[in-house]
Amino acid sequence: MADSKTERGVKWEVRANDHYFHQSCRRKSFLCFRWGRYADNVVRSYKYTPLTFLPLNLYEQFQRVANLFFLLIVILQCVPIIATIPWYSTMLPLLFVLLVRGCKDLATDLGRRRSDGQINRRPCDILTPEGFKTVKWKDVRVGDILQVHKDQVIPADLLLLCSTEPHSLCYVETADIDGETNLKFRQALSVTHTELNGDSVKQNLAAFDGIVWCEKPNGNLHSFKGELHWKGERHLLDTDHLLLRGTVLRNTDIAYGLAIYTGSDSKILQNCGKLKLKNTQVEMLLNKTVLVILLFMITTALLLAVGAGLFEHRVSPKYDVVSVLQRDSSPAYLGFITFWGYIILLSPSMPMSLYITFEVIHMVHCLLIGWDIEMYWEDNNSPAQARTTTLNEELGQVGHLLSDKTGTLTQNRLLFRQCFIAGHIYGDMSKELKPLDLSWNRFSCGGLKFSDQRLVDKLRERSSPECQEFFTALALCHTVMSEWRDGLPHYQAASPDEEALVCAARELGWVFLSRTRETLTISEMGLTRNYQLLALLDFTSKRRRMSVLVRDPGGQLKLYCKGADIVVLERLQRDWPLQESTERALELFAQGCLRTLCVAVRSVPEALWTEWSRTLSQAGTSTGNQETVLEEIYDQMEKDLTLLGVTAIEDRLQEGVPETIATLRRAGLKVWVLTGDKTETAVNVGYACKLMDPDTILIQGEELRQLLESPSPDVHVMSKEPEVWITDRRAVKSKAALVISGPELAEMTKAPEWGAKFVALSDQCQSVLCCRVTPAQKAEVVEMVRKHSTSITMAIGDGANDVNMIKTAHIGVGLCGVEGSQAVQNADFALAQFRFLRRLLLVHGHWSYYRICILLRYFLYKTTAFALVHIWYSFYNGFSAQPMYESWFISLYTTLYTSLPIQCMGFFEQDVSTKSCLCWPEIYSIGQKEQLFNPLVLAITLLYSVYTSIILFFIPMGILQYSALDYQTLAVTVQTSVLLTMTVEVILHTKFWTKYSVAAVVFSLVAFFLSTLALHSTRLFTASPKDYFFLGASPNAYSTPEVWLTICLTTCIAVLPSITIRALGVVLTNPNKHKIHSSNKPVELKSWFQRGTLQRRSSYAVSQGKGFGKLITTGVGLPSTAPPQDRRVTADSLKKESPQGSLIEMNSGDVAC
Amino acid sequence: MKNEGEASEQPDNTAFTQQQLPAWQPILSAGIVIPGFLIIGLAFLGIGIGLFLTSQTIQVLEMDYTGVEKDSPCFQCTIQSVQNCTCEVTFSLSALFTGPVFFYYGLSNYFQNFRKYGVSKDYYQLTGDTQYFKSPRDVCFPYSHDSKNNPIVPCGAIANSMFNDTFELYQIINGTKKKVPLDGKGISWWTDFNIKYRNPSSVNGSFASAFDGTVKPINWPKAAYELDLTDPNNNGFLNQDFLVWMRRAALPQFRKLYRRITEGDYAGGLPAGNYSLTVHYNYPVLSFDGRKKLVFSNVSWMGGKNDFLGIAYLVVGSLCVVMSVVMLIVYAKFKFSDDDDA
Repeated sequence: MADSKTERGVKWEVRANDHYFHQSCRRKSFLCFRWGRYADNVVRSYKYTPLTFLPLNLYEQFQRVANLFFLLIVILQCVPIIATIPWYSTMLPLLFVLLVRGCKDLATDLGRRRSDGQINRRPCDILTPEGFKTVKWKDVRVGDILQVHKDQVIPADLLLLCSTEPHSLCYVETADIDGETNLKFRQALSVTHTELNGDSVKQNLAAFDGIVWCEKPNGNLHSFKGELHWKGERHLLDTDHLLLRGTVLRNTDIAYGLAIYTGSDSKILQNCGKLKLKNTQVEMLLNKTVLVILLFMITTALLLAVGAGLFEHRVSPKYDVVSVLQRDSSPAYLGFITFWGYIILLSPSMPMSLYITFEVIHMVHCLLIGWDIEMYWEDNNSPAQARTTTLNEELGQVGHLLSDKTGTLTQNRLLFRQCFIAGHIYGDMSKELKPLDLSWNRFSCGGLKFSDQRLVDKLRERSSPECQEFFTALALCHTVMSEWRDGLPHYQAASPDEEALVCAARELGWVFLSRTRETLTISEMGLTRNYQLLALLDFTSKRRRMSVLVRDPGGQLKLYCKGADIVVLERLQRDWPLQESTERALELFAQGCLRTLCVAVRSVPEALWTEWSRTLSQAGTSTGNQETVLEEIYDQMEKDLTLLGVTAIEDRLQEGVPETIATLRRAGLKVWVLTGDKTETAVNVGYACKLMDPDTILIQGEELRQLLESPSPDVHVMSKEPEVWITDRRAVKSKAALVISGPELAEMTKAPEWGAKFVALSDQCQSVLCCRVTPAQKAEVVEMVRKHSTSITMAIGDGANDVNMIKTAHIGVGLCGVEGSQAVQNADFALAQFRFLRRLLLVHGHWSYYRICILLRYFLYKTTAFALVHIWYSFYNGFSAQPMYESWFISLYTTLYTSLPIQCMGFFEQDVSTKSCLCWPEIYSIGQKEQLFNPLVLAITLLYSVYTSIILFFIPMGILQYSALDYQTLAVTVQTSVLLTMTVEVILHTKFWTKYSVAAVVFSLVAFFLSTLALHSTRLFTASPKDYFFLGASPNAYSTPEVWLTICLTTCIAVLPSITIRALGVVLTNPNKHKIHSSNKPVELKSWFQRGTLQRRSSYAVSQGKGFGKLITTGVGLPSTAPPQDRRVTADSLKKESPQGSLIEMNSGDVAC
Repeated sequence: MKNEGEASEQPDNTAFTQQQLPAWQPILSAGIVIPGFLIIGLAFLGIGIGLFLTSQTIQVLEMDYTGVEKDSPCFQCTIQSVQNCTCEVTFSLSALFTGPVFFYYGLSNYFQNFRKYGVSKDYYQLTGDTQYFKSPRDVCFPYSHDSKNNPIVPCGAIANSMFNDTFELYQIINGTKKKVPLDGKGISWWTDFNIKYRNPSSVNGSFASAFDGTVKPINWPKAAYELDLTDPNNNGFLNQDFLVWMRRAALPQFRKLYRRITEGDYAGGLPAGNYSLTVHYNYPVLSFDGRKKLVFSNVSWMGGKNDFLGIAYLVVGSLCVVMSVVMLIVYAKFKFSDDDDA
């Protein structure tokens, strides 16, 4: 038995109501060790426990090379023989860095604990021997039986045992998992349904002792394999029996389920990738640079140590004053000691305080993002939020934006906006709508965004039979089910499009009331009529249309059909009237980015119906490819149609989406859309939000596969449109978009070289649309882009289905939308609206990148130039590791004297104004191309710092060697020159002088001179002569004109190249460029668009697979929606007519993706 | 959605939070840059010319008296066996050496800036703290105690290696030597003399007994309290020569002030004529290829003679001027070609 289970891959055992069995195998953990089988239902996204915080946090912090290095330096400085400068000069900054970082980590982790706690404390009902008891989510164990009420979130992955609905159906909303808002239904096994349901459901459940054998926990949302062993029988289980954690129960009063996977074993949490520590590219380059500096430092120290050894060997023996000091040690040993001495002396070139400054700047930039009133959304009182504080500069470098569709680009509200009936277009697209007076309609529920009194008048006066027929068609031709609440019909549809149409018909007086298996009841302007449903020709993505064949109360047979324009128009009667105006209407709707459907009718003669129904029933019994056969039969019926009209539905975009995407595209970003939704919808939204130009060609399916299979994708894109390519190279390059679906993507990931090709190909296209992808696939796409291109990826989404990709991307942005807060919880940045992205990237991102790059360069420059002076001095002091500066200057230099001006620059600097950032998105490419911080720039910076250090030492040395000035005077001279040089340099970098910047510069200069004078004062010397032995050095030096002349000259020569390059830059650049700085033109985004020739698009995106059609025709789903008196009848009829076991097969089309 | 009870999270609309602080954004243009360079260049040239001319007026007389060459006057003193060697260096001035004349001694190839040498002194001891007389700080090792483990005062390598050649200057007038008075007062830093170095207070009225229980530095011929027995203000740690020596040089080639010539007939300078300099040659430098020098110099407002400073200013100034010309040419070309495009 066990062997066969292993073969079938079902190794996960769940025993219902067996608490002790599961208790024994609970997963436990201690520190980082885990054992046990079943996880508890607790979400743990935090990292530290009180016990592990200190070691873990210190471990993490010392993973940073610089911190580890400075720890080493501190240790070295405590060894007296090599201590060239006192220990506190490194220890204090290091402690400060560790403390700040530790506090920050602790605060972040506490925040995570809080949000975890909120989730873990949610209530749910568990079956105990005393009946159902309300407990917290975290108490749910595998094997528990849970009771879930309507509109509750399901706390764990449950096996649906039964529900209060007939046939133990239940409806779930999976928006948090796949982003689709339409309802899906789940159904219990018939055996559990029949055995457990009844008046004593609690007792039945308590006595339930089935054993579930299923797969081990995995992240595949759309597959589940398992079997239920109960009462000696084996029943197969699949995804239809599973209620996933995170989904919401809808339209079902109570559902009972058996917990199978809990906590981290559940499908949704398996889909959430691990919490990854994100580092920016700039930081990685910085780390590499620090490593280079470290290597350089060690090499230099080594060479200097060799120098010291040689000096010891050659000079010292003759030089008794020194040789006695060395205590007869061997030159090699002295060289070794000197090596460590130089390591300490050169250690300031490692920019340790840079990391702390870096973090402070990041934090301030994050605050500024949160403070930006332009990114605050009043409707839900949410400002922008930076949750990860280390990624700011990467906001200025994003090359690929990968966006979710539902809830991110679109509001996920489909609105009936316009229609075309009998040569007239009704409804307008203006923003301000005058709501129609619909008080005459007692079924009106509101929510109609359609305004045209003419149509209402025509309908009420019954003066236009075409209009009446049109709405009759809308009220009849669908697979929607109705539910009565408060005396009003509410609709459940497989697709939001259908719902929008049926709702629109209801508002305008054609109310779909209810349906049974064979009838449809509608109210036409208050007049209730029953239509007999003869056949339902369901939707498939291939047919792109659906029809109903009904017998109206008058006994006439009518076929109502709706579908994509291309399919419907070619099935119309020949020479149909109004051809031209229809074409024009379709074009007009396409321009407004509306989704169109054509509605048509056909009167069917009785004879045709009889014959056709016979063919149909024959087909039903025939074997072979039933689908193709059915398609042909349907095709016979759907012809000679008469066009009734065209509907136009708006897939409401979020505010400002097209403008934002257009600006971002101008900024050089590649915007990809990754959605769980259908291809048609995605394409339509793509066009609507200016992701693609109206005349963009779509490359998809087989064509795409061919391109990818070919050795070089470039060639094929070119050869696609050879003439155009020659005339306008750039246009063609950007006039294509790739469309790929989830299954195709899965295939592609199997062939690894396709990923590179795909990304290379996408670089030449305007956009990429990935449709029907799972959350895990979204992450895979992000991963693919990360792997095959060098650019920074940003993922934006609002639902739990986007969590994975948000975590995978370099930067994840969560929208605090309606779909719950999971995306925000896992995001690096949280925004209220998609349109804020423009400001986040172009303004904050650009500024952050600019500021941080300048800051890093300046920092590296200032620390290395400072430390390198020691090297030059060592040639004149016998390689004895004699510091060039006073030790106080060494410890105060980075912390007090030079930190503020550069920090001010990091806070306030603006190379271009907000308006210019938004007006000229092209500026953004600086970051994408890494123009301000790349190896070349770094090399130049470091070379420049070498130059500066040479000047800083040799000029004062050259001048003072002729005078009787002592070491301390030279030290003061060089110190002052260093400080002035660095201050001038930061002044040159600053282009945006606020009062704070001025104050910071003044402060650091004043601080330097005052503290230097103070440190050289009598008071401090008398307190501790050995620490303040520079007594009188600076007053003496500063009263010598020679020193001032030297300082002035040194500073000027040191900054001369920098000034010259800037001056040459000014002279050489086009004067027009300056306008960017000063322009105050209002931001006009629209003017940039130029509508090209429009192509008509129509998409019938009614359903992702087959609709509810089969469910309706077999009548399974109906009872709950039909009026109460019908309930029993239908339920009975179902039992008779639906053959056993067919349910599973029937449903598969609806759920599988 | 907006809840009245909930605190609004609307950010403050201030210039600071919205990054709209009033700011000055200097925009450089060729019209500023090119004249700017020219002005800076001219200013540097001006200073450079001034410095150079000033430097030219300063008189310097340098004499190496190490005695490396056999015919040099101090050659006999380089022989180790000779004790209390004296030699005579003569020179003649063809014109008045304008006063006040500064008299330096110079050493080359001498690493006073060697780190371990530099730290080898006890600041506490030198402030007259007798507690440190008995137990000098470790930094002085191996010059903290002598072989009999007596503490050395002043301890450390710097003090131990104090320069101890002395000089007497005579003008030879008609074959007779006329002593030129040398002024040794105030040649050290004011802070050193008044704050940094303090003598221990006398014990029982005797300055020497403050040093009881200590020994003189190994290389010193006499103890610290015997440095100048004539003037108590110039004795002990406050001896000017000691102070000058203790202020260590920055580079291996250095000069230190020995005396000033400010008194008597020579207040206005050294008149033309022949001079003889008697050197009490004590300090050995040849073992490490060192050199000893004597330097007479007068000073100007900018200090001693320093051609380097003036020349450096001139070079930088002319570089700036050249740059401004280059930029002007580039700009003109660039602008014209730009106009052509337009």
